[in-house]
Amino acid sequence: MFRYILKILRYTALKSKNSSQDHTSNNGYNEPIPSDLKKSREIIENILHNSSDVSVHEFYFGNNRECKGALLFINSMVDKEEIHKNILQPLMYGTLMFGNDKNLDLSDIDTIKTHYISITDCLKITSLGDLIDKLLAGTVILLVDGSKEALVINTGKRESRNIEEPGTEAVVRGPREGFNENINVSISLIRRKIKSPDLCVEKLKLGEKSKTDVCIVYLKSIANPELIKEIKARLNRIKIDAILESGYIEQFIEDAPYSIFPTVSNSEKPDKIVAKLLDGRAAILVDGTPFVLVVPMVFIETFQSVEDYYSRPYLASIMRIIRFLSYIISTLGPALYVALTVFHQELIPTSLLISIAEGRERVPFPAILEAWLMIFTFDILREAGIRLPKAVGQTIGIVGALVLGQASVEAGLISPIMVIVVSATAIASFAVPAQTDSGTILRYIFLALAGIAGGFGVIMGLLVTLIHLTSLRSFGTPYLWPIAPLNLSALKDVFIRMPLWNMTKHLSAIIWKDADYYRQAPDLKPSPYKNDNSDSKQKE
Amino acid sequence: MNVEKGKICSMQLFFLFAGFVQGSVLLVDFAIGISESQTWMVILIGLGLAIPFVLSYVALAKRFPGMNVVQINDAVYGRFLGKTLSLYYIFFFLMTLSFNIRDVGELYITFLMPDTSFIFLLVAFSATCAYAVSKGLEVLARISHLIALIGIFVPICTTILLIDQMDFSNFLPLFELPFARMLHGIHIMMAIPFCETLVFLMIMASLDKAEKAKKSILSGLLVGTVSLFIVAVRNTAVLGNTQTIWTSPSFQSTRLIDIGTVLTRMDFLIGIAQTFLIFFKCCLFLYASVTAIAQIFNLKTYIPLVLPVAGIEVILAATVFQSKVDHAEISQNAGIIYSAPLMFLIPPLTLLIAKLRNLPNKGGKNDS
Amino acid sequence: MRKNAAHLVIILLTIFLFSGCLGGREINDLEIVIGMGVDKGQDTQDIIITAQVVKEAEVGRTSDESGGGKAYWNVTGNGKSVFDAIRKVTHKTGNRLFVSHSQVVIFGNDLASEGLQEYIDFFLRAHEMRPTALILIAEDQAADIMDAKPETEKFPAINIVKLVKSYRFTSHFYKVNMKDFVSSLMCETTAPTAPIVKVMEEEGQKNIHIYDMAVFKNDKMVGKLVHEETRGLLWVLGKVESGILLVPYPEDQGLLSLEILKAESKVTPKIENGKIVMHIKIKQESSLAEQSSALNLTTMSVFEKIEKAQSEVIRKEIMTAFEKSKELNADIFGFGRMLHKKYKNEWEKLKDRWDEVYPTIELDIEIEAKIQKTDLLVKPAAPGQKEE
Repeated sequence: MFRYILKILRYTALKSKNSSQDHTSNNGYNEPIPSDLKKSREIIENILHNSSDVSVHEFYFGNNRECKGALLFINSMVDKEEIHKNILQPLMYGTLMFGNDKNLDLSDIDTIKTHYISITDCLKITSLGDLIDKLLAGTVILLVDGSKEALVINTGKRESRNIEEPGTEAVVRGPREGFNENINVSISLIRRKIKSPDLCVEKLKLGEKSKTDVCIVYLKSIANPELIKEIKARLNRIKIDAILESGYIEQFIEDAPYSIFPTVSNSEKPDKIVAKLLDGRAAILVDGTPFVLVVPMVFIETFQSVEDYYSRPYLASIMRIIRFLSYIISTLGPALYVALTVFHQELIPTSLLISIAEGRERVPFPAILEAWLMIFTFDILREAGIRLPKAVGQTIGIVGALVLGQASVEAGLISPIMVIVVSATAIASFAVPAQTDSGTILRYIFLALAGIAGGFGVIMGLLVTLIHLTSLRSFGTPYLWPIAPLNLSALKDVFIRMPLWNMTKHLSAIIWKDADYYRQAPDLKPSPYKNDNSDSKQKE
Repeated sequence: MNVEKGKICSMQLFFLFAGFVQGSVLLVDFAIGISESQTWMVILIGLGLAIPFVLSYVALAKRFPGMNVVQINDAVYGRFLGKTLSLYYIFFFLMTLSFNIRDVGELYITFLMPDTSFIFLLVAFSATCAYAVSKGLEVLARISHLIALIGIFVPICTTILLIDQMDFSNFLPLFELPFARMLHGIHIMMAIPFCETLVFLMIMASLDKAEKAKKSILSGLLVGTVSLFIVAVRNTAVLGNTQTIWTSPSFQSTRLIDIGTVLTRMDFLIGIAQTFLIFFKCCLFLYASVTAIAQIFNLKTYIPLVLPVAGIEVILAATVFQSKVDHAEISQNAGIIYSAPLMFLIPPLTLLIAKLRNLPNKGGKNDS
Repeated sequence: MRKNAAHLVIILLTIFLFSGCLGGREINDLEIVIGMGVDKGQDTQDIIITAQVVKEAEVGRTSDESGGGKAYWNVTGNGKSVFDAIRKVTHKTGNRLFVSHSQVVIFGNDLASEGLQEYIDFFLRAHEMRPTALILIAEDQAADIMDAKPETEKFPAINIVKLVKSYRFTSHFYKVNMKDFVSSLMCETTAPTAPIVKVMEEEGQKNIHIYDMAVFKNDKMVGKLVHEETRGLLWVLGKVESGILLVPYPEDQGLLSLEILKAESKVTPKIENGKIVMHIKIKQESSLAEQSSALNLTTMSVFEKIEKAQSEVIRKEIMTAFEKSKELNADIFGFGRMLHKKYKNEWEKLKDRWDEVYPTIELDIEIEAKIQKTDLLVKPAAPGQKEE
């Protein structure tokens, strides 16, 4: 208790120190740009500590080369070709050649912008702070001697990956494009799918050092304004030096930081994100990562794949049930095996019990330890396999399967049934990618419970998990919705997927209550072509 | 001031009721020892007789919307007498809760895990209940339909699997039972599954629409009764004249399931369902106890009370009876006497006094 | 936060420490019992339990070395009570017997004639036992039965279960499990029955044979029902599933084998003028499965005659069963229970003198027998077809 109070005190002390620091540094930043080029260059180079990758290119232009200008940019971040062609050439040669434009004031930034710079992405700024920000963001700054303004010119060059198929979410049917690290590309991918003025993109910068661009994207008419307000509030709370991945943001805005279940979902597929936006959710895009966060998240979301909606409903429904079953198998498999073989042997059919007993004849470990070992080994194999290059990864698989699986059975260390159980568990755990984390943790917990108290332990564990899941909320939406609280009409899209024409309105827990929004017209059920004309002809 | 902030809707109330009534499914096994093949009849008569009392609880809750029974007692009987009565309620909640916790322990010790330590079962079970209660009424309400559906799904499932072993002539002859035993059975049946819904006097205060409560409560009662009824019918039809000798006819009848020598020992299904149901019932009782205590002492929140009360309950449950026989004797005879006035006398009386004093229109609001 | 972490550590520690400490038993430590025999010691009057325990190590081994390596171990123990004897078995096995998978319990003849009630209690009360375990009576000693190694099965006990379940091919005996037996036992009037199993020596090979049905009066074995009598009983109870009816037709010239396809029965007790009459209505369908005569029987008129003859055979089976039960004065049909259900008030008077009343009961049997099909042949394969 005492320690806790101390901690709070220390934190507040730190906070006040930090804020005063911010203040001092801001002092220099908010100053206006001096009109003297030499002076401003000095100040800027000072702020940037004469960093070697900052280039300052001074040049003269104008009818009689009477004006002095300077281009500031970071070497590695700009497109020099474009600087030559669209900034320097028009300014230096243009002003020289069209010398008769006497009435133009070349020390005025606006004039330069409107008359000479042939680039669209230009912005006029007046403060030194902005100048530094823009410079570090990779733009070209044009300073003109005698002007208190500067022109920010975006040369648009930025190294980025091509749009590729995301590695984490492969699909059989569906678009293969994925977001990439460039936030503008990511936004454009979303924009391309929703060409409506409804789509709102709100930008903010997070991270005192990284100044990462973060965008909140939502559909104005569908998303609950309360939700957007809440997201902004939570994002603005974040005071951190750098945001390197959206996972940073996720951990600062999630509802239940201690829970093993994620309450913020992520994806790198634009179609998936857009589908979620259309449900009234909001996406959070972070520059520098292809993973886009979506809130609010509900538990069943992880069992719904976008492909479910692209393929016909029958197989999609079966697959969804299989996914639920796999999740159950992957969390409970080893636990049930241990509970049955250690505590409730009477529940195993006689012939199966005899063959299990036969397989365990030479096994020196208790079943619980056997299970621990196997699961542990599996997790090691998985972790090793992910990090390695593909070719080596396969070797790991072979070594794992052959050496550890077969040899340990033959040596009598592990019973064959245990190997089957763990393999089934392992395979099942990959059927629901988004819950693999929670599934893995739950598997350990349930295994421990089963080892302690058999079926009773597992049942109590299930109850606690159920209560926990029910009590979770993600940005106000109950996590287990629509199972608990029950929403019958939304169950159309949980364990089975009804045909699209049947789901006229759904996700009422997330969608804005006041939104007058139907996804589709109510009577879209297709029917065979009815030839009314032929009917009438026959009558005639 | 009310200690609970969450609200429950009428559909959740329905499932809460259905789940709660099914939580007494162990009692069907118990009642078969008393009323033999007439248990199904006893259940129906019990329901019929209990409905007026349950309605009186609803009427009480409706008359004082948003007030729980402790507040109602204060309003109707004044501070001193009201508090005394509330203590009686709390005593009832705590005792019933300890009986139910003990039931779970005995269920596991007898049928599923005879080598496990009794006290461990009680502690683990109560801890789970405490966790659920500390998450609030809303969470309980939200899982209520899952519990109620499991409760009704398992009897139906086992009944279907046992259908070829049923002999419906086992119900004959009708009315063979001596009248006194029938009455005994009816009394137990009325008191335990149906009139124990007294706890809802603590819960109905959190209803968002008190006026719709009647409909959902009656249908909840009905669904719960149907489940109990199926259990009683299944047991009698399958076990016939042997039904009275088993500790738990439900377990014994489902043990008879043998489909292709693989689908055997389905009694674990009964075990799971009963654990879930009694868990739910215990949660509601624990919730009622802690909120009532918090209300009496005018606490802001009941959360700090949950663990201590659960701990006391474990001790009570472990020590209150010496053995299963003791448990059976006491709950058959004394157990239902101490609760009788609370179930059958006080709520209607409170309603009457409230009507006579024209409460809560006059002073009710000032008191609360 | 630090406090939470500390809690977590404590919880995890306890989880690891307690793992497997609460009454779990490893499969390796189990002595899986698949069948039990109960006998009475010849001299000591002790109860001898023979438990058939699975030898896991031998199960998977193919018996290359013929004769060697039985997959089971018949371990015995004796004591003053059944449970006492079972626990004394641990002196030999080192582990507690795990009787949950015991599918069959065989009682020795001595116990059966002495009265089973006191010995059956354990098998009902023990939480590990299944009420579906089959109950059988040994012709002589139960221990001998457990020892006869079957040809196709690995375990004698499983083999016995298989044999008992084959009742549905002949209906010559019937499967009786613990619950059925107790149900009859608890009824004051109904006589419990159980199949009898015995070892037959055939060409030096011990074979197990399910033989007759033992009839109990209260809990003591008083007699046996032979095959036809058992089927007579099953006709009334409506439990005939299949079987071959041998119908002499045409009279003294040939034999027809009719396979029973379906049988239903309905018994309505009636008390008429103080006389108890049981109306038994049986509906039966069969197929013509074999004929020894060369006559063409497939005409409607002949079928009617066959059906009549068939009904007679069934009636005879029922009557022999009934006569036997009268002789033993054991209500194997459960007529007493049926009367109780229908005539509640009269039953009060009948109950106490049921033993006297039972032999006076009359049967009124109505049989509706039908031949449904003649399988693959329409006419017998014989030269010179003759019409009947």
